[in-house]
This record gives sequence, C-alpha cells and structure tokens, in this order.
Amino acid sequence: MERLIQPNKEIAMATSTTVVPSHSLTGFIGLGRRIAALIPGLLLLAAVGYAGKFIEQSIAAYTKAGHITFPNIEYVLWAIVLGLIIANTIGIPRIFQVGVATYDFWLKAGIVLLGSRFLLGDVLHLGGISLLLVAIAITLSLTFMHILGRAFRLKPKLTSLLAIGSSICGVSAIIAAKPAIDADDEDASYAIAAILALGAISLFTFPLIGHSLHLSDKAYGLWAGLAVDNTAEATAAGALYSDAAGKVAVLAKTTRNALIGFIVLGYALYWSSRGEAHAVGNKAAFLWSKFPKFILGFLLISLLATLGFFAKPQLASLANLSRWAFLLTFAGVGLRTSLRELGKQGWKPFAVGAIGELFIALLTLSLVYGADRYLHL
Amino acid sequence: MSKDATSSRQALSLDGYAVALALVLALLVRLNLLPPIKW
Repeated sequence: MERLIQPNKEIAMATSTTVVPSHSLTGFIGLGRRIAALIPGLLLLAAVGYAGKFIEQSIAAYTKAGHITFPNIEYVLWAIVLGLIIANTIGIPRIFQVGVATYDFWLKAGIVLLGSRFLLGDVLHLGGISLLLVAIAITLSLTFMHILGRAFRLKPKLTSLLAIGSSICGVSAIIAAKPAIDADDEDASYAIAAILALGAISLFTFPLIGHSLHLSDKAYGLWAGLAVDNTAEATAAGALYSDAAGKVAVLAKTTRNALIGFIVLGYALYWSSRGEAHAVGNKAAFLWSKFPKFILGFLLISLLATLGFFAKPQLASLANLSRWAFLLTFAGVGLRTSLRELGKQGWKPFAVGAIGELFIALLTLSLVYGADRYLHL
Repeated sequence: MSKDATSSRQALSLDGYAVALALVLALLVRLNLLPPIKW
C-alpha cells in the first residue's frame, strides 16, 4: 500500500542528499546513483504519456482523412488507460518504481509553469470566486462527512482523514494530517485508498456529466477543481474536457490546496484538545510547514507573465513545457493505480467516501451553477 | 512519528525542487537559451 500512496517519499529517498555529504566525491557518486535510479521510471512515464498523445493524433488524422465523425478522445485518457493496463497486468518492475513515483513532482512543476497562462487579474478573479465556493463547500462537506462517519460507525480519526481528503486535497491532505492528528497507518491507508478509488471513478464520470449538462469550459473546470480530490486527478478530469477547462480546474484546485494548512491545523487543535494528539506549538510555523509551496511559484510566474516579462512566443513555450510535465503526470496516474490494492480496503470507508463524494459533487455543481449565473465566471 | 515528520519534510523539499526546476526552465526560455518548445 505504501508504494501506492506515497510518491514523494520514494523520490525523496532516491534524491535525498542528506545521507551522504554532497561536497565529497562519495557524495557526488551517491547522488549520481540516486538520479540514475530515476531514469528507467522516467523513460516509462515518457513512453506511456507519448503513446497516449500518439494514439490521439493517429485517431484524429485517420478519422479526418476518412471523413469519419468520431469524438476526439484526449491523450490524457489514453495515457491513463495505458498506464492502468500496464500496472494491473504485467505490473511495474521494481527498477521503474522510483522514477514512476516522480509523477507528483512533474505535476507541481507543471502547475508552476501553467502560471504563465494566467494573467494575475484572472487568477484573482477566478481564484476569488473559487475561494468563496471552496469555503462554502468545505464547511458543508466536512459537516456531512462527520455525520456519515458517525452513521457508519467509522473510527473518529478515520472519519477525520476521509473528511479532510474528500473536502480539501486528497492524498496530500491526508499525508499532511496523519502526523498532526496522530492517526493510525491503517486509517491513513484506508482513507487514501478510498480517495484514490473515487478519484479514478471521477476521471471517467465527470467529463460525461459535464458534456451531458453542456457546461461551459470555465464552469466545468471550476466544478472539477472543486469536486475532484487529488490534484493529479482534478487536473486530468479538467484536461479530459478541454484544454481551457483543464486550466481552470488547476486554478480552482490550487485554491483548495492553499487552505490545507488551516483545515489540518483545525483538526490538530481539536484532537489535541481531547488529549488524542500532540499539542501544536507555533501556529504560524505549523501553517507555513503545511502550505503547498508550489502555489507561490505559480503566482510568481503568473505575475511575471502579467508584467510582460515574457514575449508571446516564450509564453507559448512555457505553456507547452507545462503540457509536457502534465503528460508525465497523467501517465503516472495510471501506472500508480493498483486496482487490486484499491479492492483490498473495507467497504465502509469506501461507502462513506463514495456517498460523501456524491454529496460534494452535487453541492459543488449547484455552487458552480449559481456562480455562473450571479458572479459571471 | 519522527518518520512521518521526516517524510513530510522530504515531500516539502520536493515541492521546492519542483518550483526551482520550473523557475530555471522559465529563465532559460526568457533568455532564449532553450529552443521554442512545441507540443
């Protein structure tokens, strides 16, 4: 399970320079070996992602040449499906695993580069609307998840983790909250498995629902960013709809991610007040430690783009670099999803997560409808 | 507990590396040290 859930940990183990001093020759050799260990998995990510892009382009060229009407299936879906097939049939040999785990790293680098496609004014406008909707959605969904957890008699800390995961930021939020509320490994694994399973389902259902409701790119992107838990899946669900929707989904999801520290702090204070978690010392330091730093990078690039630091062709290059980084991420989403592991969890956490997700999806959809009508997205 | 704190710190430092990589790439593009990136 750990291999499935903690990508950062593996990359950190592969790239950490803290074990061997980097100034010595041994240190450089050690670092070189760690970087070399990433290469097979990185090549696999690139191969699967590029195969997805190749399939999309080939189908588009074939249907165009033959004047056949066929819906365009984005490379995102092909990359994820190819990854899922490989991971769940032949499996991922050990030599590839460390490199494949870097998909989260590429996601964050891609988000920072995506900042070049936003003027800061757009970020503030859409981010402001997202923040308002996120605040409403989080309050209602946290309350609903706790009522559900009590009804299903889940352990209170497992309920807390599921509530944090489904209302804020999926796996990262659960990993951030686990030590803060002294939750069990088992509870964290259950919560993460439920969130990952539900994320995989939303990848296939959200675009279908969006198309059937004829949502605009902005409205759909906002909905995907507010409702899909994991950042990688939210980005993929948005990109599956359209490029513009993917952009908005990332912005809305990033706004949600920014609140992770406040929610985890709230839970840490609650559990420590009950004597079931260690006390929180400096609250500002706690908030900073949990704040996703890549958001600052995103804002910086957006600011530079707004100030005209980049010429138009350079902006196009940055946007394309972001797409290449996301291509590696989407391949990783498929390659890291083990259906067997997801099936091993008990039905109760999954049921609570699924009912909660359905509630959040409907809630955020109605919020987005309202915002589209009254706040003019 | 300390293991969790360590992995959390490592994850955060990876956030830093991701930001650093993106900023370096942005700078290389700005200085025209990279060829135009196509999709």
